[in-house]
Amino acid sequence: MEVNTQNFRSLAERASANKRLRGVLDHATRHFQRCRQASMDALPHREEYFARARAARFNALAHLPELLEELEKNATALGTKVHWAHDAAEARDIVTGIAKAANAKVIVKGKSMITEEIALNPALEAMGAEVWETDLGEFIVQLAGEPPSHIIAPALHKSREDVVKLFAEKLNLHGEAIPELTMLARHALREKFLTADMGITGANMAVASTGSVVLVENEGNIRMSTTCPRVHVAIMSIEKVVADFEAVADILRVLPRSTTGQRMSSYVSVLTGPRLEGETDGAQETHIVILDNGRSRVLGDPELRQTLACVRCGACLNVCPVYQTIGGHAYGWIYPGPIGALLSTLLLPEDKTRDLPYGCTLCGACHRTCPLSINHPQALLTLRAREKGGSILGRAHSLLARHPHAYRAAVGTARAVDPQLDLLPRLPGLSGLTGFVEARRPPELKKSFTARRRSAAKKERS
Amino acid sequence: MRAQLFIPCLVEDCQPETAEAVVEVLEHLDVEVRHPSGQTCCGQLAYKTGDLKNARRLAARYLEIFAAPDPVVCPSGSCVKMVHNYPGLFNPDEPEHKRAVELAARTFEFCDFISGLPATQRMGAHLRARACYHGSCQLQGLPGQDAPRELLRGVRGLDLVEAERPDRCCGFGGVFSLQFTSVSEALVEDKCREILALEPDFVVAAEPSCLMNIGGHLARLGKPLPALHVAQVLAAGLRKETPPWK
Repeated sequence: MEVNTQNFRSLAERASANKRLRGVLDHATRHFQRCRQASMDALPHREEYFARARAARFNALAHLPELLEELEKNATALGTKVHWAHDAAEARDIVTGIAKAANAKVIVKGKSMITEEIALNPALEAMGAEVWETDLGEFIVQLAGEPPSHIIAPALHKSREDVVKLFAEKLNLHGEAIPELTMLARHALREKFLTADMGITGANMAVASTGSVVLVENEGNIRMSTTCPRVHVAIMSIEKVVADFEAVADILRVLPRSTTGQRMSSYVSVLTGPRLEGETDGAQETHIVILDNGRSRVLGDPELRQTLACVRCGACLNVCPVYQTIGGHAYGWIYPGPIGALLSTLLLPEDKTRDLPYGCTLCGACHRTCPLSINHPQALLTLRAREKGGSILGRAHSLLARHPHAYRAAVGTARAVDPQLDLLPRLPGLSGLTGFVEARRPPELKKSFTARRRSAAKKERS
Repeated sequence: MRAQLFIPCLVEDCQPETAEAVVEVLEHLDVEVRHPSGQTCCGQLAYKTGDLKNARRLAARYLEIFAAPDPVVCPSGSCVKMVHNYPGLFNPDEPEHKRAVELAARTFEFCDFISGLPATQRMGAHLRARACYHGSCQLQGLPGQDAPRELLRGVRGLDLVEAERPDRCCGFGGVFSLQFTSVSEALVEDKCREILALEPDFVVAAEPSCLMNIGGHLARLGKPLPALHVAQVLAAGLRKETPPWK
């Protein structure tokens, strides 16, 4: 999708005024939070589970180059072709190259953020292939011509009524209830699985010790996309590799619980090389594309490396008051919410992401919810400081605050001239205050605590 | 027991009643209170807008202001959190670093501080009212984050209720409320709706900026529901007289 993060502020402001969207978001995020909470409440020793998942992720990050080489060696030995892509363009070229060589006319896809990141679908369509998103939510947003608005629930911003209309319009399929709509999508997609020449997925994890790709899902569409077509391509970013199946287990104990509140997702696929002689299913040709796209730079950054520990459970989105109010599209790229504000700022050009680190009240709900204890607010503050932050207002305030006499004089003058702070928004550079005071009566400047204390002491003495 | 008062800038000039209530409660608990002069801003605004240079300068000032070894008590979770962030502003080999670690260790949020005093158990506050508690997000993760709730539960006669999502952010977020005014307004709207649904006599919290935000929006809605600091509620409970805002 086109990067629109430079308009984050205006998109967010506009989205927050959309009452219908706010209703849909409120409903969906509360549902996710309830499910997650119930599953966490039912989990004894959860701190231990979190600690093990954290260890699995952070150990992987600490040994990433070695693990990636081990992955390549073991996957290659199985017959999987491993490709390295420096950036999005290289990754697209690799995948379109594989599709061309396989003469792929119909391509089915499992839900994958990484293929959104590299804008793969338009590239495949440009070479004449028919590309079908097979995750129900992703299928809905594909029909609507929209990007996903949530990491794990791409059509979270759509109500049932929206989907009824969309199916009627785009597919001439008519249904009302959710099970009925799901069945319509299933019939439409079943055809595609059976005719597809190629399946493309992301990867939740890649296992260095065995060369396997691990995929977590609930709908079975990823299982179909990886086993029906002749060719399977898994695209992963470098940080998805983990050491071994111990690590996979440690992460799987918290991932579905944190995502949907499930103890385990309906399907966990472990794909280890192409179909062997005598096996009845599986792709005959398998590829793994390993994408960097700016991540090795983040890996080398001790303060921000934690961002790469993310397993994309989406829990930070569901608890974020800002996400709950503006939804995913306002973030202007494919990664929304607290983790999205971080990833977009780290992966996109600087001049497009200046506002993203500021779209956060620093309430910390994300940090407290993250199964890996990623400290999103702290990382966003780091980004603010790197931007050589500070506003004119802030610097003026700091200058005064360093000189208590000048500070007192300034407050005293303000109190004499404008005790209700009515004039303040009219000052140059303080226009942001207009909206603030429209929604809130500004605080009144009163006789200061110090002055009151002084008067009281004087009274006592006399 | 002696303590040094750390009064946030917002409290000093806009909510002085909170500071007076803090003094009243501390003195009632036999704490000898000193209010070191020269306090302006702890550097939170600079820090949160990414201006680390000024944050360091202001932190260095506060290291001087509170150099005496007595505990430092502050009626704001976010300002206490800022002091807890001071060590990170200095390199470990700078002399300020050690002093920052030392100051952070003896800087307490007001409710947390008094919860640890034996006299608090026998405080005997009494106030007949229905209070809605807003658990500021800024207190989360601080030591004693539930101290305000516990103190309020100890006030006889107080009907303490909590909004639907008591710990959800009220939408202030400092500079956030100026840059994302509509989003911030939507959040304070949510917060006030959830508070008003409980029909309390007042809102109570332990964070001055939340109180300014929530109180200010309630005033704009034409619902002049008082937004009070926990210290004010405790002080009123100690006086056992009908508070002026009731």
